[in-house]
Amino acid sequence: MAEQQKKSKNLVKDVSFRVVKATVKAILVYLLYFLVAPMLAPLFSLVPGFMESIEAFIAVYIVLMILSDITAKTVFQYFFSTARALFFMGYLLLSMGDGMFSTSYENFSLTVNLTLFYTIAVTLSLLGFARTILQAINFMHEKAEANSNLQP
Amino acid sequence: MKKPLLIALKEGTAMNVPIRMLGIATSIFWVLLVAFIALAAYSVKDLSFDFGEPEFAVAPDGELTLSLPLYVDNRGYYSLKEFHLSTVFSDAEGAEISRDSTFVPVIPHGESVTIVHNVTLSMVSLLEKGEQYLFNDNDLNVSVTAGLNFAELLPAEISTNFTFPWGAPFYNFVLGEPAYGQFDSAQVAVAVPMSFENHAVFDIAGNIRIELYDSAGSLLSESQTIVYVPQHSAYNGDVEFYVPLSAASLSAAQNGHFNVYFDIGLVEYGPLVIQYG
Repeated sequence: MAEQQKKSKNLVKDVSFRVVKATVKAILVYLLYFLVAPMLAPLFSLVPGFMESIEAFIAVYIVLMILSDITAKTVFQYFFSTARALFFMGYLLLSMGDGMFSTSYENFSLTVNLTLFYTIAVTLSLLGFARTILQAINFMHEKAEANSNLQP
Repeated sequence: MKKPLLIALKEGTAMNVPIRMLGIATSIFWVLLVAFIALAAYSVKDLSFDFGEPEFAVAPDGELTLSLPLYVDNRGYYSLKEFHLSTVFSDAEGAEISRDSTFVPVIPHGESVTIVHNVTLSMVSLLEKGEQYLFNDNDLNVSVTAGLNFAELLPAEISTNFTFPWGAPFYNFVLGEPAYGQFDSAQVAVAVPMSFENHAVFDIAGNIRIELYDSAGSLLSESQTIVYVPQHSAYNGDVEFYVPLSAASLSAAQNGHFNVYFDIGLVEYGPLVIQYG
């Protein structure tokens, strides 16, 4: 009975820790966005709808990050991490297309070649995706090993 | 008890180290990339471009040069490389009249640079497109493209189109009806009022030669007038002809035509045929 109480106390403690960790990480990410956004304001003002698009991206990214942190130490953590990496890549692919960013204002048209930045970002997000897959494989491997150790 | 430095890792944790290293490396690169983009975008705020007052000059070979000063104040964190500015002038039909470009290899950060972009318009080639540029105001289409390599990583280009008002140097050129008056016993003085407005961006200095023909197409007389008309001002004057005094010639001179030849240094044009009578 005392052991069960201790177990449930540990579970509550563990879940609380995960929630706190997820909240702190979400706040930090939002804080980073909050600090960087004014710096990018000149860019935002050039593109109509860009701010809304970034805000939606940040919201989805933070939700996936929170879910991933809350489900830590389970296989779902890696599902959400992979989903986050795929969402990031999908957002990059959809928003940047061929890497040429064009916008028009009155009779001015601005074209910025973001191919190099795009290549670096896609490479880094691919690395992130590969990392989550490796983590998932590692998790399943550890779990299988633990199960095999328990068997007589 | 002292732990050995090299302990065999448990099989399960052996993969954690490269995964963690991969995560750390990726995070570092992300931070660097985001910091670079944020600084680059922030630098745009400290970048200013301003155009000065355009200056016009006329070369002896008949070319009109428009000098457009461009002030670039680069207070950002990065140098601007391969700055180029090109302008294309074309007529209403889209035929190219002039194409000029200016290239600056580097605009270092923290410096202000003045770039003078010269556009050359050849009056001769303009007149090849039609005499309307001499006598009628027009709108020339201008296509401007400016590009640079920002922070050595982000090539950017801005382009725009606008119209450039072309002022005709002999706008509303009119020769009035000839007025006859006796000069001496052998010839008659014919005064013809001449007027036009110089809408051009340059002064006109040259001469206008006019030939007076009668209705039969015979040359009765010719006259040459030296004109100096500052830009954006009007000219009003009389051109004098001396026609031999005879009943036949006076009768034939009641109607006919003028052949007008323009020589203003920049361009020679003629004949412009104007009927009278």
